Amino acid sequence: MSRSPSLPLKPEPAAGRAPEGDKIVVGVADLQVSRDPGKAIITYALGSCIGVTLYDPVAKVAGMLHFMLPESSVSAEKAAANPAMFGDAGLPILFEKVIAAGAKRERLVVCAAGGAEVLADDGHFRIGSRNRTILRKIFWKLNLLLAAEETGGQHSRTLTIRLSDGQITIRSQGKESVLWPR
Amino acid sequence: MASLNDTIAALDRLPALPATSLQLISMLAGGGRDADLREVERIVSRDEAVAASVLRRANSAALGMRGRVAGISDAIRRLGTRELCRIALETQTSGLLANAGRSYGLRRGALSQSALGGAIAADALARSHTDQGVKVDREIAFVAALLRDIGKLAIDAVAGPDALEAIAAAADTRPFLAYEREAFGADHAELGAILCERWSLPTAIIQAVRGHHEPPSSPVEPLTDVVHAADCVARWAGLGLGCDGLMYPFDSGARERLGTTRDELEALVADILAATAPEQTPGILAPGNTLRRSA
Repeated sequence: MSRSPSLPLKPEPAAGRAPEGDKIVVGVADLQVSRDPGKAIITYALGSCIGVTLYDPVAKVAGMLHFMLPESSVSAEKAAANPAMFGDAGLPILFEKVIAAGAKRERLVVCAAGGAEVLADDGHFRIGSRNRTILRKIFWKLNLLLAAEETGGQHSRTLTIRLSDGQITIRSQGKESVLWPR
Repeated sequence: MASLNDTIAALDRLPALPATSLQLISMLAGGGRDADLREVERIVSRDEAVAASVLRRANSAALGMRGRVAGISDAIRRLGTRELCRIALETQTSGLLANAGRSYGLRRGALSQSALGGAIAADALARSHTDQGVKVDREIAFVAALLRDIGKLAIDAVAGPDALEAIAAAADTRPFLAYEREAFGADHAELGAILCERWSLPTAIIQAVRGHHEPPSSPVEPLTDVVHAADCVARWAGLGLGCDGLMYPFDSGARERLGTTRDELEALVADILAATAPEQTPGILAPGNTLRRSA
């Protein structure tokens, strides 16, 4: 018989980073949702890609998507196989999955990191900034606002959300900072 | 920080690309004739890691073959010279790069995956450039892109712990190569080219490794343009991103010479991510899965 993962089966983790074994890793073009308060969800090396977190502080449900490109129209075949590659296809799925896991739309805290750009892009590719634009467009449609973000620049970022309290940290250039709560 | 002399001296302490890889590259540079199959077979059979990769690839559903292969000889016959060369080079380069990139904050295997992703992109871009009338050998493009970041092994050898992270944290908007040159007397592209020279690789490969972040405009090197764009595609796919992040430009001259559109490059980003996903057999794109042109 399975028990609901929303029950506090494990003691709350101590303040600071969750232990290594309690990390759920989101790969590139991947998404994960969890209700386990002992876990943290993490994604590494966000460059032009964007990492998005949705968190319900009451239900303690968190989801994270690591999408790579803004629009699925560049490869319908790849989008069908893995919608998490694309912002326009992956973001609605992330939203549906956290709602299905017990989160309520009105309580969702939305944060994002990544969307960096190569140097001297000259406006030709702008994958990072177009990823940021699609994020806003989809969340506008879903009637969600970003609570916090750290996007742009040229740096690579690692994004972590802790399930117990929703704390979001970003590690970049050897430094760690808290993105939410502010 | 290290002087240029210290950095060059560190090259002597690095492991070399296996002699069998060097033989294969020279064979590919000579046109990879069918008569070489026996020699490739000998190389493949003698290296356990390569033989295992060959068997895995031959059994891979991505090749659309029916029935499992009976053994290494069967696998070799099914795959052919060109594919065998690629698998051998991929496996041996991957062995060399498995622990590389530590000073950039890369996790184990990240640089091998990035090497392969770039190689697959370079193959597709070489084919596309050739279709437009600028001949670029696909096999050589694959190898050059596979080796493009080999100089990061030298940076690993001379950079102290956290040195590159500190450099990146203090960096402004100059390309990361400029900071490497300041700190170590040479950047990873130049150091990679020096290693390739020491291994007596073909000149075109040495040039492409040296210019993979800064392709020259005069004289133009079509192979270098291809490897440069392939490196950007790999970065967009999130491959090999360390503390240097995206601190490399996409050269506008190379972009214009290649004539690829944004949509084509983005489709390639999606393709190489799928082809290098850890749960899949790494390697070639599925048949027919090449750079799509919008025209």
